[in-house]
Amino acid sequence: MSETVLEVESVSKQFASVKAVDAVSFAANGGEILGLLGPNGAGKTTTIRMIMGIIPPDAGTIRFSFDGTSTGVDKERIGYLPEERGLYDDARVLDVLVYLGSLKGMSREKARRDARAWLERFDLADRETERIERLSKGMGQKVQFIAAILHRPDLLVLDEPFAGLDPVHQDLFEDIIRDLRNEGLTILLSSHQMNRVEALCDRIFLIDRGQRVLYGELEALKEAHGEHAVRLRFSGDPGFLRQDERIRDLTLDGDRATFTLRRGVDPDRYVRGLPESIAIREIAIEWPGLHELFVAAVTGEAG
Amino acid sequence: MKLRRVIGWEFTRTIRSAQFLTMTILIPAILTIAAFVVSLALHGQPLVEADTSEPIPLVVALVFAIILFLASFLSGVMTLYSVVREKRSRVVEILLSSISASTLMAGKVIGLGIAGLLQVTVWVAAGYAVASRFVPVSLGLLTPVEWATFPLYFILGFLLTSALYAALGAAMKDVQSGGAAGLLGMIPVIPMWLSSAIINFPSSLWVTIAGFFPPFTPAVMMLRIAAVPLISEGKLAVPLWQIALSLVTLSLGVYLVMRFAARVFEIGLLMYGKSASLREFWRFGLRRGKRRQRGERSA
Repeated sequence: MSETVLEVESVSKQFASVKAVDAVSFAANGGEILGLLGPNGAGKTTTIRMIMGIIPPDAGTIRFSFDGTSTGVDKERIGYLPEERGLYDDARVLDVLVYLGSLKGMSREKARRDARAWLERFDLADRETERIERLSKGMGQKVQFIAAILHRPDLLVLDEPFAGLDPVHQDLFEDIIRDLRNEGLTILLSSHQMNRVEALCDRIFLIDRGQRVLYGELEALKEAHGEHAVRLRFSGDPGFLRQDERIRDLTLDGDRATFTLRRGVDPDRYVRGLPESIAIREIAIEWPGLHELFVAAVTGEAG
Repeated sequence: MKLRRVIGWEFTRTIRSAQFLTMTILIPAILTIAAFVVSLALHGQPLVEADTSEPIPLVVALVFAIILFLASFLSGVMTLYSVVREKRSRVVEILLSSISASTLMAGKVIGLGIAGLLQVTVWVAAGYAVASRFVPVSLGLLTPVEWATFPLYFILGFLLTSALYAALGAAMKDVQSGGAAGLLGMIPVIPMWLSSAIINFPSSLWVTIAGFFPPFTPAVMMLRIAAVPLISEGKLAVPLWQIALSLVTLSLGVYLVMRFAARVFEIGLLMYGKSASLREFWRFGLRRGKRRQRGERSA
């Protein structure tokens, strides 16, 4: 379970004057979902393209290890959903899937059989002879997702799988990604949908301007870098909040106050220490979400 | 094995397209039927009486040379369109995650080439059937030298044009934009603009030299081989050493252009949003080798 399937070591890539990826290292362990996060233009897609062997790195190494044997890039054992979506517009769904499956080393018969099963699961069974251009955007995305997993890869690389999907389909994709993980696939997931990443990923790698910002277990990162958000509704003098050194980003609006507890402030002790003179109507203390962690890290407030 | 699948896919897709079916079946069929109707109206009388002094055998070779050249040019253009379309639909990224850029390029060039060959065969057969109703022509009128060299010039010329056009397609944003493509794409066509000069002065120094310059070789040499006997009324022919040398330089040219094109193809395909300039095009083709070696060593 925990052996390393993908290892990226000090990989760099320069485009003209821009250092797109700068000495980045991370590893994906067998059977886990590793989140690859970062703002637009941070170097995610470039990193993924280097992993896929589409563009070569300027420096550094990328190693794969399947069944305990270390190899170079073995395109038949990796599945890829690119960020840039597109398939042959004028070709038919099943034909395209069989062709792409055959390029991954599947026999035509097996590719056809498995493609049909997946189309069934994605509720597209009646579309197999439809031309790609006549599918809706969501349907096209499902077909492309099937193309990425049809050959049962050991490592699956998903670049923005949820982009452009409605919430119902996002749920469907999330379920299927989780099922694939449970079947033993190792998944590298890049997404801006923080709630999905939070629900799916075991660990994350956050990249910004080509460099690593955060890397590790999601819960541990939250513990180390997160801050608690507090929402309070009360009657009484709000003056006690203004002097408090332990809080920041205070917003007062009538009887409502929202603020953030500085790192290291224990929420339990903070609440117990609130003044007797105010009457609390509502109080909510939130464990930091990945969203806040991301924003803080990228805007440079993470320590 | 994967190359075969790419070839099969490209070939089937092409011959199933409406454009190909129209050009290959519908139009030749209509023209052939129309010609036969006309010939029946003329009570099957040939327009020209068979006369051995007419230079028809030589003209046949000339027409054949031009058809072969057009065929390799057209399948090159088909390759260019196919690459640009695939690039625009972003499907290349998925393809490159399964196969190498050079396999993709080779598959396209060969698959579309076979489709192009099929098209030429239909045209030649239809043209021959029609022409023979009116004038006494026969493919048997081609000389042994023509039979031996034309297929070679055709295949090599086709490989060179298609590889060049595949690279141009990869470096273009869309088919309207110029960039490097506008200029470089014109090179193989130049002999056709000058074809009347080549036919009239097939042994002049410049035409002879042009025959050894790979992008021009197929068109110039086929025209020369057909035209030299025509001009000299059958007394002269292109010297064999010139034919041999032109085939050597052409083969070398094909090899170099294909290598160059594969590199441009690999870089150009993932360059979205703008067309490569002539300088970039050049740099892609020449620089890529070193980088790839480095990439492979570290992978």
